[in-house]
This record gives sequence, C-alpha cells and structure tokens, in this order.
Amino acid sequence: MILLCGITTESPLALVREALDEMGAPYVFLNQRRFSVMKMALEISGGRTSGRLDVNGDSYPLDEFSAIFSRLMDYRFLPELRDKPEGSPEHLLCHNLLDTLTRWAEIAPARVVNRVAPMGSNFSKPFQAQLISQFGFEVPETLITNDPNLVRAFRERHQKIIYKSISGVRSIVQTFSDDDLARLEHFRWCPTQFQAFVEGTNVRVHTVGERVFPTAIRTDATDYRYAQRQAGDHAELREVELSDELAEMCVRLAQGLGLAFAGIDLKITPENRVYCFEVNPSPAFSYYEANTGQPIARAVAEYLASG
Amino acid sequence: MPASTFVAMLAGRQDACAPISANTFMWLLLCSAQDASAHWAYKGLRARGLLPLELVTAEMLLQSRKWEHRVDASGASISITLADGRVINNKAVRGTLNRLTYVPLQSLEGTPDYDYATQEYAAFFMSWLYALPPPVLNGAAAQGLSGAWRHVSEWVSLANKAGLPTPLYRQTSHDTINEKLEMRKLFPNGTPTTLAIAVGDRVVGPPLPREIRDGCLRLAHLAQTPLLGIEFVRGTSSNSWSFAGATHMPDLRLGGEPLLDALAAELFQPRSSSPS
Repeated sequence: MILLCGITTESPLALVREALDEMGAPYVFLNQRRFSVMKMALEISGGRTSGRLDVNGDSYPLDEFSAIFSRLMDYRFLPELRDKPEGSPEHLLCHNLLDTLTRWAEIAPARVVNRVAPMGSNFSKPFQAQLISQFGFEVPETLITNDPNLVRAFRERHQKIIYKSISGVRSIVQTFSDDDLARLEHFRWCPTQFQAFVEGTNVRVHTVGERVFPTAIRTDATDYRYAQRQAGDHAELREVELSDELAEMCVRLAQGLGLAFAGIDLKITPENRVYCFEVNPSPAFSYYEANTGQPIARAVAEYLASG
Repeated sequence: MPASTFVAMLAGRQDACAPISANTFMWLLLCSAQDASAHWAYKGLRARGLLPLELVTAEMLLQSRKWEHRVDASGASISITLADGRVINNKAVRGTLNRLTYVPLQSLEGTPDYDYATQEYAAFFMSWLYALPPPVLNGAAAQGLSGAWRHVSEWVSLANKAGLPTPLYRQTSHDTINEKLEMRKLFPNGTPTTLAIAVGDRVVGPPLPREIRDGCLRLAHLAQTPLLGIEFVRGTSSNSWSFAGATHMPDLRLGGEPLLDALAAELFQPRSSSPS
C-alpha cells in the first residue's frame, strides 16, 4: 500500500495520484486539510516500528505501507487553521498528527519520497555545492563576503557575475550591474553570495530512483523561472538526452544526498563542461511535465509501487 | 595519549599571547558567549598545551570586519577577520571544537528583514563551518551547525541499531505535549540519568559494561557525530542500562579531566607543513 500525503489541489501530488489510478496501484490519500478526523499512533520497540493510521474512515497498520509520497505543506497556512490562534487545540492536533507522520516516515522501512533529513542540504546553497562537487560536478565559482573590494575584484575577474540568496529562501537570481556597485556599502551587515555567471544551456534533470528525465530550457533570462519578467518571453522547454555517464552522475548525486526523487539544475557550457547549481529535494515537476510530456509522475508512481 | 605528553610535545611551540594572523597554526573553539561548558573546556585544553587555541564566540563572529568564503572546483575556503584583528583561516586551523548551534541575531528582531537574515546567516554559517578542515568536533551537517539535530524517535531507532538497550517509544497524534515548549523524553522528568560521552574511539564517563561502551561508539559512528553525549537510566539490577537520549551538545564539564584528555587527543593531529 502507498500513502500519499498533502492537499488534493497540489499539482505534483495530483499527477502522481492520477498515475497511480491509471496503474491501478492501491494507495491511501491523506488529505492534510482533514486532519481533525484523523488519528495516528507510532511505536518503536526493540528496533521494530509499528502503529496505526486512521484516515478516511479506515484504520491501517503502519507496516502495511510500503511507500510514502509526501508533499505536506506548512500546516500553519491551512485554511482550516486560519482563524485559530497558535497554541489552540486545533493547532496542537494538526502539529502532532503531522509530526507523528513525519517521525514515522524518517525511520519507516519503506520507500519514502523524500525523507526530511536529507532534504536539509538544500537549506544552504554553498553547503550543498560543497557536497555536489564531491560527486564530480563542477560548481560555479562562488564568493560570499561583506567586503565591497572583494566583490569588485571578483566581478573584474569574471566580467559577469550574479547574486542570489545563500539559504533555501526562494530568490530571483540577478545579474550584478553597474547600478549595484553603488549599493555595495549597504551589505556590510550581511554577507552576500555572488557567483561567476556560467554561459550555457540550462538543463533540469529529474531523477526518480535510477531513471532520469532531462529537460533543456532556452531563455535569455538570468533566472529561467522568471523568464517572462527578466527576458520578456516564456522559457522554452524541451526534452533532451544525456550521455550515459552524465545520467549516471546525476543518479549517483541524488542517491548520495539520500534523495529518491530530485530536481538537479545543471548548466552545460559550449565546451561541454557540466556545472551543477542546485539539487531540489522537493521538485515541482509538473511545470516540466506539462511543457515536455515527460512521464515524471508516472515514474514516481512506478517507483512507489515497486517498493 | 596522556595530557602530559601533549604538554611536552607542544610546549614552546607557540606563545599563547602572540598575535594571530592568517599564517599562524591554531586550534579553534567555537561557541556562544553563554556556553559555560565550552569556556571550561577552553581552559582545560590550553592547560594541556593545545596552543594557540582561539576562543571565538558566535557574538564575536557577528561583529567580524571581513568575511571571505569561497566555493569552487578546488574546494572551499574561509577567512574571517574578527573585530579584534584576529584572522581565522581554514588553512591554518589544526582542529576545531565546534559548539555553535545558532546565530544570535536578536539585535535584528522586529525588523522587516529579521526572518530572511536569520535564514541567510544560518545557511552561511553551515557552509563555512563545513569548510573547516578535520578534525572538527562536531562538524556542520544539513540538520545543524555542530552536528545533526535528531528527534528522540530517531535516536531510539539509531540506538537500537547500535545495539544499545532501548525502552518502548510511543507517540500519537492526540498527545497533549506541545513540542514547541517541551521536548519529548524517553523517561519521565526527574528520572535520574547517567551521562557517557563518546569522543572519537573513547568513551568517557562512568564504568560501563563492555557491550554498552561499544554500543556508544557505534551510535556515535552511525550518527556521524564524533563527540556525542549519551544518557542512560540504570535499572534496579547493577548491570541493567537503558538508553535515555543522546545529544551532540553534552555538558562537557560532566566528563571532567578524562574528557579534556580525550578531546585533546582527538584534536591534536600532527601536521608537517606550514600553512600556505
């Protein structure tokens, strides 16, 4: 049995659910918004994990679940809790239900897409870059500093540099411009991340177990996610093939980071050098699937079903 | 290696009061200003000849004049110029006792950028700490600045894999505990516990049965946490031990002089060349 967790309208979760329906694979859908009518108990005894999950009017032993696909959202933003004060019984119940679920998923002998702990590397981009480089990928030259002189020298050396957030907070990648020079003195209070701009083709590689789904993205924007805003036109996405060697490197990287499912952001230069920028542990793959027809949701469903 | 050996090996190598520059080998002790345990270890490690040992607090780091952290194909580097002029450079660091758990940005609390700055600083610290050369007790991990934070349920599971006797753990959705205010525990509050501390391949603390001692080392290894505090509850029979919890931030003072010896042994690793 597969357990799907999240809210029904979230696109990636909806796509995986559809794929499981097509396959006729049995699953239980845990709709986070209905937390008030669910119950869960977890026990760890002598190394064995057991317990029960009461959901949708049925009760399941935890060891019946062979796979878990979790797209849980921050419960504080659930509409059902909008008018409830923090610390209210509803908040506490929701927190404790999701916490019990998460604790179980961390240690359950099941296929989990993805466990929380390995997702942590994405919290710090330069930290993750250090891990990425251990798997044979090039990483863009990066400088984090609060010293304007170092930034000027870095820009002089690379000509074109970008800046972006250090943490996992979503930020728009921007090219550093002459106008930004005047603002350099303002960042002394907080070290900022700068990177050499790498010319080449953006490639997003989704890995699902040992399968890869590479998508090339054509745009003039610095950050293709904001192509319309930065370049005045949508990014063009198309399915591409990777060499066996590169595909294997991507699988090894995702596995090495402990991720059954990952979205790896690469840039391939005209000289065929492969830079890796980031590994997203919770990729919103529906955007890529919708634009290319790549069967990513189906691959996730098959991965879960073969657990 | 006994403490006296360190003193003999290191005495006269460095004047403890000599100015610290990027070209001076050093050991680092990173902690918060309030970490009495770390300040105690600082004195003890210096007394064992681990010199120069630089005590750098999180509060000092936030006042740094200059940060320079680079990551590229050749690896990662960090150079920090503190407000007092000291320079911390990864090439000169011989070993680190790292007790940083958070970046204290209380001064920014209430400002519009507080949440963003908190995340940025934490992510930055995670990266530069990871760039420090071994040995680091404990190194930065994806779940914490000085070793991975783990929920008690994960510790029980890991302790069991390590072969330690563990009690029943139970958690339900309808528990009344609020984990934002109180941590879950394996035994009721007030239950007397005994602390053992694993450091490298040693276990410091009370005399332990062989299998418990070995289990402590296996747990530290599984947790990839070379400095690990492990709590036990003693049963009524003298040889009955039960795992009660683990932490990457044990109170070092509870390990006494033997712990200082073990830390000094772990942090002292001969290096032949000078920093470049």
